[in-house]
Amino acid sequence: MTDDAVETGAGEDAAPAIEPGEAAPKARRIVVDGRPIAFAPGDSVAVAILRTGVTPAGGGTLCLTGDCGNCLAQVNGVAYVRTCQQRAYPGLSVVRHPADGLPPLPSVSDHVSAWPLGRDVEVLRAAIDVAVIGGGDSGREAAATAERAGQRVLVLDAEGGDEVVGVYPGPLLVVRTPTLMLHVYPEEIVVATGAAELHPVVPGNDLEGLLTARAASELHAAGVELGRTVAIGTPPEGVPCIPVAGQLVRLEGDERGRVRAVVTADDWIGAETSTPCDTVILGLGWAPRDILARMAGEIPLTVVGSAAESPPLPPPPTAGIVCACSGTTVDDLQVAWDRGFRELELLKRSSLACLGTCQGAACLPHVRSWIAAQTGEVPAPFTARPASRQITLAEAAADVTVDVFRRTPLHDEHLALGGRLDRFGGWWRPWHYGDAVAEYWAVREGVSVGDVSTLGKLVVSGPDVVEFLERLYPCHVADIKPGRSRYALLLNERGHIMDDGMIVRESETRFVLTFTSGGAANAEMWVRDWIDEWDLRVHVLDRTMSLAAINVTGPLAGKLLQNAGLEAPPRFLAHVHADVAGVPCHVMRLSFTGEASWELHHPVDRSVELWRALLSMGEEFGIRPHGLKALFGLRLEKGHVIVGMDTELDTTPRRARMAWAARMDKSTFIGRSALARIAKLADQRRLHGFTMEGEAPIEGAPIFVDRDIVGHVTGSWTSPVLGKAVMLGWLKRLPYPERVEIDGREAIVAPTPFYDPEGERART
Amino acid sequence: MRVVASPEAIDRAVWHDEGPDEFEPLVVRLAPDDAFAIGATGVEVDDPHAIVEHEVGYIALMFPADEFVDVVVPRLDWPAPIERPAFAQGAIAGVPAKLYLDSTGAAIVLVLASYLDDLLARLPVPS
Repeated sequence: MTDDAVETGAGEDAAPAIEPGEAAPKARRIVVDGRPIAFAPGDSVAVAILRTGVTPAGGGTLCLTGDCGNCLAQVNGVAYVRTCQQRAYPGLSVVRHPADGLPPLPSVSDHVSAWPLGRDVEVLRAAIDVAVIGGGDSGREAAATAERAGQRVLVLDAEGGDEVVGVYPGPLLVVRTPTLMLHVYPEEIVVATGAAELHPVVPGNDLEGLLTARAASELHAAGVELGRTVAIGTPPEGVPCIPVAGQLVRLEGDERGRVRAVVTADDWIGAETSTPCDTVILGLGWAPRDILARMAGEIPLTVVGSAAESPPLPPPPTAGIVCACSGTTVDDLQVAWDRGFRELELLKRSSLACLGTCQGAACLPHVRSWIAAQTGEVPAPFTARPASRQITLAEAAADVTVDVFRRTPLHDEHLALGGRLDRFGGWWRPWHYGDAVAEYWAVREGVSVGDVSTLGKLVVSGPDVVEFLERLYPCHVADIKPGRSRYALLLNERGHIMDDGMIVRESETRFVLTFTSGGAANAEMWVRDWIDEWDLRVHVLDRTMSLAAINVTGPLAGKLLQNAGLEAPPRFLAHVHADVAGVPCHVMRLSFTGEASWELHHPVDRSVELWRALLSMGEEFGIRPHGLKALFGLRLEKGHVIVGMDTELDTTPRRARMAWAARMDKSTFIGRSALARIAKLADQRRLHGFTMEGEAPIEGAPIFVDRDIVGHVTGSWTSPVLGKAVMLGWLKRLPYPERVEIDGREAIVAPTPFYDPEGERART
Repeated sequence: MRVVASPEAIDRAVWHDEGPDEFEPLVVRLAPDDAFAIGATGVEVDDPHAIVEHEVGYIALMFPADEFVDVVVPRLDWPAPIERPAFAQGAIAGVPAKLYLDSTGAAIVLVLASYLDDLLARLPVPS
C-alpha cells in the first residue's frame, strides 16, 4: 500500500489507482479516491473516470445507461451510486468501492455531520392526469397524445434526473430527483422506459474493457480513447471497431484483469478464433426495461415502446458470471437447481441471482433462458419490488413521520412536578416523580393521585345493548344494576384474553365500558365489528380522548373526596355522576392498587383544574402523585394481571388463574366454545405468584428448575410493605414446582394476592 | 356537540346554538351514525338511545385558504379534496386529523387534544 493510499483511504483491494486526467486542463475536477481528476463538460462521473484509463468499479460490461451495477461507487458519501447516471461537477467526491467486499459503512460521526446523510429530504407531492415514465421516443409520443387530449402530463425521465423508484397502489409514483423526493399521484401511468442492452455471460465477462454498444457510442462521442476495439454482434454506428464474426466463447485478459482477446467460434464448424483487443463492444441484443411495469401488480398502467416488447431471450449461458451484482455463476445456478430450487422465484432466492443492485436488469434474461433450457418452458419474469434503484435511508424516510404518542391533558403538570415521562401503551405517561417508593407509601398509607386518562372509555347505548354485552363478555351483564359496575375480561373466539376493564351500567340501556390504555383502540374495533356482525341496535361513542381520568387512591382518599365536595363517595364497584372540586365527574369506585380508589372521569378541558385542586386539598394528608412504577408495584402485591404484560397471545382465563371471570353457566359468549373444549385438557402452563428474599429480579428473568428454564418472570417488585420480592411469572412445565430458582436465588411459588388477600382495604 | 344515533335521526336533528344568527353550527358527519357539530350548544334528536355528549376532546385549527395550501396540503397523507365545501379524515404529517374546507377554501383542521402538540410541532406555523 502506498503512502497516498493511506492518506486517501484507498486500500489494497481498491481498483487501480487513478492518475490525474489530461482531457480538460482547466479547473473542472472531481476528486476520486482522494485525487483530483479532470472532466469535460457533460461528463458523467463514470466517463470522467474512464478518461483516466481505469474503470469506476473494476471489471464487467459497462452499459452507461444506468441498467447494470458495474459502475457503482461512493459519491459524496453515498455508496452504490451509479456513476454513469451522476453528472460530474467541480468538487464532487468519489470513492470507488473495494474490488472485493462491500463499501464501508459510514461512521456515526459521518451520519451526524456529512452531507447528505444528516439532511432531511423534502417531499413534493403532485396530482396529475398522466404520468409518463421515460423521455425517449415512445414516452414523448405518449405525452404528446395525452396533452392533445387536454390532460395534464408529467414526464419523468431518469436521464433528466427524475428516477421513478417505486410504484404503489393509489396509484403513487415515488420519484427520486437530485434535490428532493417527488410523490406523484397520477390518474394514468404510461411506462415508456425503453430497453436495456444484454450483457455477455461467458468466461471472462468480469474483465475490464467490455462495453455495450450504447456505452461505446457514448465514450466515442466523449472522445475517450478505446484502443484496439473489436465488436461482437451488432456494432454501433460511427464507432471505429473491427467486427468479429461467430459465437462469443470467452474473453481473455491479462494479469491486471483487462481484456486482451476475444475468442469466438465459427458458426458452422465450431473452430475457435482468438482476436487481440483492448476493448470489446458487445451488441448482443436487448431486453425490455420493465421493472416498474412488473412492480405495478394490479395497478393499471400502460406500457409502450420497447418496454412492452418481448424480444428473443439470449442463448442459455453455459459458463461465466450470470449476475455480476451478486457474483452468481452458471455453476451456482446449477447447484441451486440440483438442490431442488427449480422455479425462478426459488432459484433467485437460493442463488442470489437477480437480487443485487440492478435487480435483475442485466441478468434476468439469462436466468430465464437458463431455466428454459432445463425445463423447456420460459418462465415469466418475477414480480419486482420497490425500490428499483438504490436510495438512501434519508430518501426512503422522506416525509415519513414516527408514530404519535398521545399526551394526556396533564402532560405539562407531570413535567412541572418533576415527572419522568415514558411511552407506554401509545401514550406519554409518568413513570415516577423522583421517588417511586415514596409514591408507593403515599398510596398505602395516605392518599395519592394518578393520571389514568389513558384508559379506554366507550359509551354503548341501545335497545339491544344488554344482549350485545352478554354475548361480548364472559361475565354476566344483565344482573349489573344501574349505578353498579363489574370487572370483565375480553376474550377472542379462541378464549384467549384480549383485554380487560370495567362494565359500568348507567341505565337500562346505556353502559360505559373501560379498557386498558394499550388495548383501547383494538377493543373499540372489536366492539364495533361484533355489533355489525350480530346486526344489533347499539350505538357506540369512543370517549377515550374526550374524557380524562384521575385515580384518587389510598386510605385517606375518601376524606379527600369529601373535602372536595363529594359528600358520599360511592361504595366499592358503585359509581355516580357528581361534581368534585367543582368539576363534573363520573366517579367510579374500584381498586387496582389494593387500597380504596375512585376514578374521576371528567372532560379533558377541566383536567388541570381538577388535578391542581386535588393536590392542593390533599396537602393536609401528605398527598403526592404516583407514577406507573409505583402503580405496577402496588398491583403486583395484589396479584392483579396487566393484559399484554403478564399475558401472552394464547392466555386463557384458566392459565391466568382467572377462571372465575369466565362464567361457563352462560349459554353463550365469545370464546365460550373454545374454553369448554380445552377445559377437558390438562393445563400445561399457568401464571403463578412468586416470592423471594432480597431485591426483585428483572422482569423477563428466566425461571429455572434443576437448571432447566421452565418459565419467566412477567412482573417483579421489591415490596416495601412485605419486605421481600414479589413476582408474577409463567410456569410452563408439569408438575408445577413449589420452589424455583430465579436470578440464582431460591423463590417460592406463592398464592396471590400477596397483600391484603381478603381485599378489606380496597372495600373499606 | 357529538351525537351518535341512527343515521335517519341525525339527518333530522335540530341543532341549537347561542351565537349570532348568521353563524350556524357547522355539522360534519364523521360516520353515518356519528355527527360532530362545532358551535352547537344543544340538539334535538329523534332517537331515544342517542348518545349526546359535549365534545371537548378536539381542537380546531383555522387556516386561511393560502395558508392551508402552503402549510397543510404538502403534509396531507392523501390528495387534498378538490371540491368545496369538503370534509375528509386522515392524517396530516402523520397525525390523525379531520379536515373541513369551506366554499372559500379556508380550512378547519380538527385534531384531538392529545395529538395537538405533535401536530403543531410538525407544521411550520407559530405555536
